[in-house]
Amino acid sequence: MMKSHNRHQRTNSARKAFKKEIRDSIRGAASGFLFGIPLLYTMEVWWIGSYAEPLQMLIALLTNFVVVFLLIRTEGFRGTVDTKMRDALMDSIETLAIGFVCTALILVLLREISLTTSINEAVGKIIFESVPFSLGVAVANSFLSGDRNQNGNEQTSSSSQSKNTEINATLADMGATSIGALFIAFTIAPTEEVPMLAAAMTPPWLLATIAASLLISYGIVFVAGLTNQDKRHQQTGLFHQPITETLIAYIVSLMAGLLMLWFFHQLSFEDPWTVWLSHAIVLGLPATIGGAAGRIVV
Amino acid sequence: MSESEQKQQRSVAEWVTFGIASSIVAGIVGLVLYSWAKVGNEPPVLAIEQSGKIRQAAGSFYVPFTLTNKGGETADAVQVTAELQIGGKVEEMGEQQFDFLAGGEAEEGTFLFSRNPQNGKLILRVTGYRKP
Repeated sequence: MMKSHNRHQRTNSARKAFKKEIRDSIRGAASGFLFGIPLLYTMEVWWIGSYAEPLQMLIALLTNFVVVFLLIRTEGFRGTVDTKMRDALMDSIETLAIGFVCTALILVLLREISLTTSINEAVGKIIFESVPFSLGVAVANSFLSGDRNQNGNEQTSSSSQSKNTEINATLADMGATSIGALFIAFTIAPTEEVPMLAAAMTPPWLLATIAASLLISYGIVFVAGLTNQDKRHQQTGLFHQPITETLIAYIVSLMAGLLMLWFFHQLSFEDPWTVWLSHAIVLGLPATIGGAAGRIVV
Repeated sequence: MSESEQKQQRSVAEWVTFGIASSIVAGIVGLVLYSWAKVGNEPPVLAIEQSGKIRQAAGSFYVPFTLTNKGGETADAVQVTAELQIGGKVEEMGEQQFDFLAGGEAEEGTFLFSRNPQNGKLILRVTGYRKP
């Protein structure tokens, strides 16, 4: 609805600019999640954040800023490349801000930052975790530019075959999702972080993790993609097809995560089902993000 | 293209997949809610007991045990000790630590003694845990 509304009211430029700004930020965040999530599930990075001295944090922050600035000059997270120095500087700051906000949210979700965490430790964790995240934001342009709807035109042209291609496209999407999810889950499942994080999770936090997984997955695939978004929304309906796809992708990712956990002996059949559930949901977050990346790239 | 026009184009198959997908995810959410209702924020309830027979090999006596968390929440760094009292005196001691024992989960381990535990009194005990 937002898009068609936009198209009809080109005069309403201020509002449009804000919507574009929001979409750009979401695109940046999506790419940041793809880059940052493996390190968000790495306890060594939390520890560095816990022990770092304020001076070290400042140095990390500054280094990060310089690298992000250089990347922004060539890549960026907007549809357009910043040519002016001033724009690049502004975008670099925005990139860092997106990184801070998103890593802070995930760290709170993973219960690595809570009300009892000291401010020094919390800031340290956010700064060090946001480094890969903001690098991801800075290269969003080239990373998320994949066109995942090349077969889109075929679908609309022949109605008799549309059902068939639709099913094929769905299968291809699910294949890409499971590859991406397995790829990420494979790197995280054998580590000690999953049982560690799952242990600290209570049911309300698990529910929040499910919600975050679905939201991020939806954001990466249906808001952040650079190309053919309008076309995609037209073809597949406004609303419920993307939601269905997000839900199915989440289920596929959970399965991929469970498979990897079982494969690496993190779960056994003697474990109670609550352990399976919490482990699956904890690993489900990065797996879903990997799955979303798979659907964009493949 | 209006909203309602597009909605009518949804095929039955799409609604079916949507229904199945959403019910599975709802099922997962339901499981979380069920586990919440069932165990809630019940703290860990830890129990240790000897499991199986004592076995002797290479001059040592092997005492297998099972450690279970019958409560709801997960306990981390669960410390278990074994004391072998012979003639009212503590002759030997053993200590072990278990990481991340979830509610309902059971772990197995073994203590080794150089004297036969059957000649004395064996005390297995959980001495503490940490909140994860």
